[in-house]
Parts: sequence; structure tokens; C-alpha cells
Amino acid sequence: MKEQDTAVLEVSNFSVELMTDNGIFKAVNNVSFRIGHGETVTIIGESGSGKSTTAMGLLQLLPQGLAALSGQVKIKGEDVLANPKAITKFRGRGLALIPQDPMTALNPVATIGSQLREAIKVAGRITGKQQMQSKAVELLEQVRIPRVEEQLKKFPHQLSGGMLQRVLIAIALASEPELLVADEPTSALDVTVQAGILDLLLELQQTRGISVLMITHDIGVARLVSDTIHVMKSGKFIESGPAAQIVDAPAEEYTRALLSAVPRLGEWDETSMVAKGAS
Amino acid sequence: MSTTISNPTQAPQSARSSAVTKQMLKKSSAARRARSTRIKLWLGTILTLVVVVPIALANLLPIADPNMQDLGARRLAPLVDGHLFGTDQLGRDLLSRVLFGGQTSLMIGVLAVVVSGAIGVILGSIAGFYGKWADVIISRVLEAQMSLPLLMMLLLVVALFGPSIPVITGVIAIAQWPEVARLTRSLVLVEREKPYVDAAKTLGLPKLRILAQHVIPNVFKQASLVILLLLAQAVLLESALSFLGAGPQRPFSTWGRLISDGQDYITTSWWMVTLPGLFIVILVVGVNLLGDALRDGNLRRSSKKEGK
Amino acid sequence: MLTYLPKRIGQGLLTVFLTVSVVFLLIRMAPGDPAASFAGPLATNEQLAAVREQFGLDKPLLQQYVIFIGQLFTGHLGQSYSFQAPAVQVVMDRLPYTLTLATSSILLAALVAIPLGMWMARRSDTDAELGVNVLTIAGQSMPDFWTGIMLLTGFSVLIPLFPASGFTTWGGLVLPTITVAILQIALVSRMVKREMVTNFNAPYLNIARSRGVSERVLTWKYALGNAGIPVFTALGTRFAAMLNGVVVVEVVFGWPGVGSLIVRALETRDYPLIQATVLITALLAVVVQLLIDLAYPLLDPRVRLGKAASA
Repeated sequence: MKEQDTAVLEVSNFSVELMTDNGIFKAVNNVSFRIGHGETVTIIGESGSGKSTTAMGLLQLLPQGLAALSGQVKIKGEDVLANPKAITKFRGRGLALIPQDPMTALNPVATIGSQLREAIKVAGRITGKQQMQSKAVELLEQVRIPRVEEQLKKFPHQLSGGMLQRVLIAIALASEPELLVADEPTSALDVTVQAGILDLLLELQQTRGISVLMITHDIGVARLVSDTIHVMKSGKFIESGPAAQIVDAPAEEYTRALLSAVPRLGEWDETSMVAKGAS
Repeated sequence: MSTTISNPTQAPQSARSSAVTKQMLKKSSAARRARSTRIKLWLGTILTLVVVVPIALANLLPIADPNMQDLGARRLAPLVDGHLFGTDQLGRDLLSRVLFGGQTSLMIGVLAVVVSGAIGVILGSIAGFYGKWADVIISRVLEAQMSLPLLMMLLLVVALFGPSIPVITGVIAIAQWPEVARLTRSLVLVEREKPYVDAAKTLGLPKLRILAQHVIPNVFKQASLVILLLLAQAVLLESALSFLGAGPQRPFSTWGRLISDGQDYITTSWWMVTLPGLFIVILVVGVNLLGDALRDGNLRRSSKKEGK
Repeated sequence: MLTYLPKRIGQGLLTVFLTVSVVFLLIRMAPGDPAASFAGPLATNEQLAAVREQFGLDKPLLQQYVIFIGQLFTGHLGQSYSFQAPAVQVVMDRLPYTLTLATSSILLAALVAIPLGMWMARRSDTDAELGVNVLTIAGQSMPDFWTGIMLLTGFSVLIPLFPASGFTTWGGLVLPTITVAILQIALVSRMVKREMVTNFNAPYLNIARSRGVSERVLTWKYALGNAGIPVFTALGTRFAAMLNGVVVVEVVFGWPGVGSLIVRALETRDYPLIQATVLITALLAVVVQLLIDLAYPLLDPRVRLGKAASA
């Protein structure tokens, strides 16, 4: 906690404007937040609220001809918006993304192994074919994938969504992440595997002290993992605060509506996820 | 998703505290795409009109009769003696021959597209709507035709049945219907899953009526986008047939024939091949550009609708 | 795979069989007596009868067809009327020339179109790309016989760089190759662009970018690696189409291939030769298509390895 001074991620007055055929659309409007070491911050909102655009904008993964970014985004104290080249320094080295839909997230014509080794190579800590191979095995074992050697030779289409998400987490771990951006990491998955993925994320975060920016529409997920929750609506944060406060004493009607979508009991609810995921 | 501030092609006037500058807006993908489409549309329209208007007005223009020979004025270069495009080996005015030849070429092209469009839409929608054996048969025929020595077959048919305008039109239509049929089939496959088709079936409407009155009109607009591209192809195909001697016979002198005739004089009279060829190129480029632009525009419009 | 191959071969053979059957019927449906055109306008009745007998035209249609099928299986489609040699042999002698032209054209097309398409994808909707885009549209809008004559006049007559006609030296291959390749370059480069753009916009590419994969690797390994599969297939299909699509260019350049052969066969109404040409080109196109289909699984692991149970 002593390193709280320089936040892993510090965002101030961040806006994303999308230049579409229909005109300029301010998808993210002046949001500010910070994530300290080992902290998990969640942005929650309905689909279309701008939460995913926030995440992708922070990582500068939106097409340049589409999105105009403004404000300040500091990763470990360095403003990556002022100097667009700066973000490449962090990508794959300390900064990692866990995407929404694991089924479309990997190169379909390359093996799991080669993509994992590629990530290990980018991280740059390990050289040598043999060492990279054993690191790949180690990473897959950490995300609890069975019969690792066999999986490494497979192509993405041969694995299930849950398995692929584990692979993607392993790829994220290859970068020795200090900040992990998880963009609805379970929403595209079967309810039966969602729990496993969330468990894994929680465990990794706790054992390694990784800071996490969690994007979700599910208040159950948010409550389970977060220290701080920001509620997003139409591109703005309408309510922010410690997880317990947001969940137990929401100030805004919108937040109450999000809450009421989930039965109060239990850690998180599967059926509501399905219902919402489908919308 | 309704906080639209302004159109990207206009300046953002109400953009309170917007970081988007005019410059960024101009360079945005949306604006650039729109600009490309607009330029293609204009260029295509101009090129097409440059060729089509004189052809349409050929009978009214003060030009010589295309078949009037003047052996004293053989192979005059362009601009000599009032012949804008020069004359051919029999002293006939080349501009007049190109314009009147173009009437035949265009007429065949349009007719061929109408015929191939009709065959393609009907067979394609039957394959898509009824499925099963109808689909199997039509799709097989489509596939088979794709792997056929097409130009050879067309030449053969023309050689056997004579190079009359109906035969040539029919031959070009046969060459082109698969493209329309494939497109229509895939459109109908999507369309038939829509709720209104189910509703109509539940109401007990006969399938044929649903297809003819509802499904086909709905896919027709999208399918019709290929018409311009087909027309371009048809003009090219006709000119190739004519060049090989399998085009309409005298008195019709289509572009391919003009080029074929002029070929013998290419070293001394470049215009006899070059100018008719340029006419084809300008027309086909224009029509293709128009087709491209309309398709781009349509894609964007449909993506806009989905975005709402 | 084991059931797929015989099925594809069967389909291919069926296509060839239907094609030659259609040609068989067309010839006999056509107005006018084929025998008359064989024997010439001055032929006596006896000569006509002799010709009919020689080609079996005096027999009932069905019987002629049965004989024709028999000929198909033995590979003897009769004597070419104008060459006084077995028709199949005449075609086979010309085939290497057409294959040479088609191969050099497709290689040139691939060599130009793939980099060009990649460039167009990168620069989508810039002014430069719009210019090139219009040029590719022009490329697919020029009648190949006209382009051929223009090139011939320019680089063989006015500036005598290449031979005007025939295939006497390898230099004679240059202009026909360029003529054929122009259309292919236009079509293939536009396809490469489309496929590259699709892959540039695919989620997997952006996610790879997020883990620090360099733009160079993203372009060449990721986008091209994926776009290359359909592009390869398209090149193969275009090659198959070219085997019978270079007719016009062969005529312009006096290229001694199958294309100029069929034009001559049609002019002289040399029916056995027409049949043989159609049979062999159709067969060849089907074989090439089959080879592409067989190569496809080698390129695409999704086809090669099938799908695991999802979820």
C-alpha cells in the first residue's frame, strides 16, 4: 500500500468522441479515476453506456480514423495520450487485456503455442526456444488447463470458449502484468464456465497483486471482485464509490435498477447474466 | 446512442468542449469514405454521360451517315475536314460509326442484363426460398457453369445459330445469370427467415404468392445493385464477341467490330482502333464506378440502420 | 476427407460430361447440315452422304450419342477435319502454349496484385488509394483485345521491343502476359484489399496489438496469413478460368494456343476439333479446381482439423 502515491493507472478528464457516419458521438464524456497497486476498479453499466469504449480507448485500441481521444491517461506516471508511442512500451509488458469474446480473440490460423510464445517473446524476459516452451507450459498450467502439451499444438477453433479464455489469461500473464484490463471477460461464456474464469481471475489478482480494471454489466461480478465501482451511463460516471457502498446504498435510480436486475443473495447470479448477455 | 452532435461532413458547431478539430474530422474514416464514394459517384456519372448522351442523341446530332462512304476521304486523321474522329478505310465518318455502333452495343447490353436479371432473380429466389431439390439442382447448374469454358461455348452457340441480335443477347444473358442467381439466392435465404414470412405462412398464403409479392420485392433493391456491374460486363462481352467475328452482322457495326476492322490499319491510322476502344473504356469505367459507389453507399446506409 | 475426395471427383466428371453432352446436342440442334459445312458448298450428294457416314451423322441421334460416349471413354474423338490429324492430339499439341501463357499471367498478377492490394488496404480511402482504386476499375474495364492491340502497336511496332506475333522467343510471352494479367491484377488486388481490411478490423488483430505484437507482424503474419487463404483460392479459380479465357488475347497475338485453335475450329466448323477442345479445357479446369480444393485444407487449419465440441 505504500506505493499508492503513483497510481498504476490515473485517468483524468478522459473523453472519447467517435466520428461516425451519423455524426460525432461522445461515447465517453470526461471520466476520471485512478487504480492503485493491487486494486480492482470496476466500471459497470448497460450495453452502450460507453464502458467498453472507455477500456479500449485507454489502451488506444480504437481505430484512429474513428475515435478522438482527449484528457490525460497516466500509466505508472507516464502520460500515454500526450505521447501516442508511449503505449507501445507497455503493451505486452506489464499491461494486458482480457477480451470480451475469447472465440474471436486469437489468430485462427496460428496454434495456441505459437501465440503464447509470441507473447512471452514480446514480454522480453525469456529468450531461447526451450525456455520459452517451458514457460508456455508453465503459464497454461497456472490457468489450470489440462493436458498442456497437447493444447499447445491445437488451433483456437479446437478449444471451447472457456478454455480459450484461460489461454487468453495465460497470454496476459506472459506479460507479467501490473495492470490487467478485463473487458467483460465472462459475458460471452457459458454460465457453467463463468464461475471458473472469475475464480481464476480473483486468485491471480490476489496472489500476484495485479491491479485490475474490470468492465462488466453485471453487478454480481462487480461486487465480487471490486474495491471501487464506477457506474456509467451515457458516457458519464453517475456514481462512484467503494464497492460495498455502491451495492448496499446506491444513490442513483439507475444503479438501483442495475442492482434489482440481480437477486440479492449469493455471490453472483447466473441466470441474470444470461438474460442480460442476450440483450 | 442519440447524442449525435453533428454530421462529420459539416463543421461541429454545437460541439461543446469537443476535442475533435475540423482537421481530424476531415481525416476521419467516415468522412474519407463518404468522400471516396462521392468522388466515385460523380466521376462515374460524368464518364457514363459523356458516352451515353451522344449515343442517345446520335440521330439528332449534325453528323454524317455512319454508312456513307467517301472513297476520296479515306482514313482521314481526326479533326481533318470536319471529321472529329477522322474516317475509316472507306471514308466513313468514325464518330458517327462509333455513336451508331454504340446504340447497338448498348441496346444488346441492356437487353442482356434485363434477361439475365429476370432469369437470375427467378431461379435464385426459387433456389433460396424452396430449398431442397430445387436448390440442389440450381446450385449445381450454377457451379457447373462457373467451371465451364464459357467464352468458347458462347462462340460455339453464335457460330452454330448465327450472329443475330437475339442470339447474341441470349448468349450474354446466359453467361451472366449465375451472378444474379447466386446473389438473389443468398439474399432470399436471409429474407425467408424473417418473421413476416412466417406470419404470411401462418395466414395460409400460398408460398408462391409470398415469394412473388413479398420476398422478391424486398430483395430486389439489393439485387438490383449489381445491374450496373452486369451492364459493364455485357458491353465488354459483346465487344469481345464482335471482335472475334461473332457479333451482330451488317448493317450493325458495334464497337468490337470497329476495332477488329481497324486492326489492319493500326500502324497508319491509329484512331480507328484507339477511339472506339476509348469509348468502351470510358463507358465501362463510368458504369463500374457508379456501381461501386452505389454499393458502398448502400452498405453504409444499411449499417447506419443497424446502428440505431 | 475420404468421402469428400470421390464426391468431388464425381462432381467434376459430371460437369465435364454434361458440358460435352451439351456441345454434342448444340451441334446437332443447329440449323443447317453439318455435313454440308464439312464438305463445302460445292459438294455433290454422294460426297455429302460420304461425309455423313464418315462422321456417323446418318444414324439416329441416340445412336450417335452412344457412339460419342464410347469415343469419350476411349479418348478418340475423331479426325480433325482441317488438320487431318486426331482431334485430341491437335488440342494436346496446343495446350502447352495456353498453359504457359496462363501460368506466366497468374504469376505476374499475384506478384503485382498482392502487394498492391495490401497497400490499398493500409491506405484505404486516402487520395492516393482512390486514384489506384480508379485505376484498378479501369483495369477491369479495358477490353483485353483492345489493350492487346495497343500494347502490340506501342511496344512491337512503334518501339520494336518485342516480337509482334507467335511464340518464337521468350520475348513473345511478355506482351500477351501483360495483357492477360491486367484484368487479373485489377480483380485480385481489389480482393486482397477487401480481405486485408476485413482482417485489419477483426477482433483478433486488435487484441494481438494489445499484447504488443508489432504492426509489421500484424500486417504480414496475422492479416496476410488469414487473407492469403481466400486469395490463394481465388488465384486458383482465376487460373482455371484463364485456361479457356485467353481466347481473345491468343487471337490478337497470334498465340498458338487452344484459344486461337477453337476460333479456327469454329470458322471451319471442325466439329471433332470443337468437341475435343471443349472436352480437354473443361477437364483441365475441373482438375485445377479439384487441386485447389485439395490444397485448401493444407492452408486452413479450421478445415483441416475440424471443430472440437464447442462450449
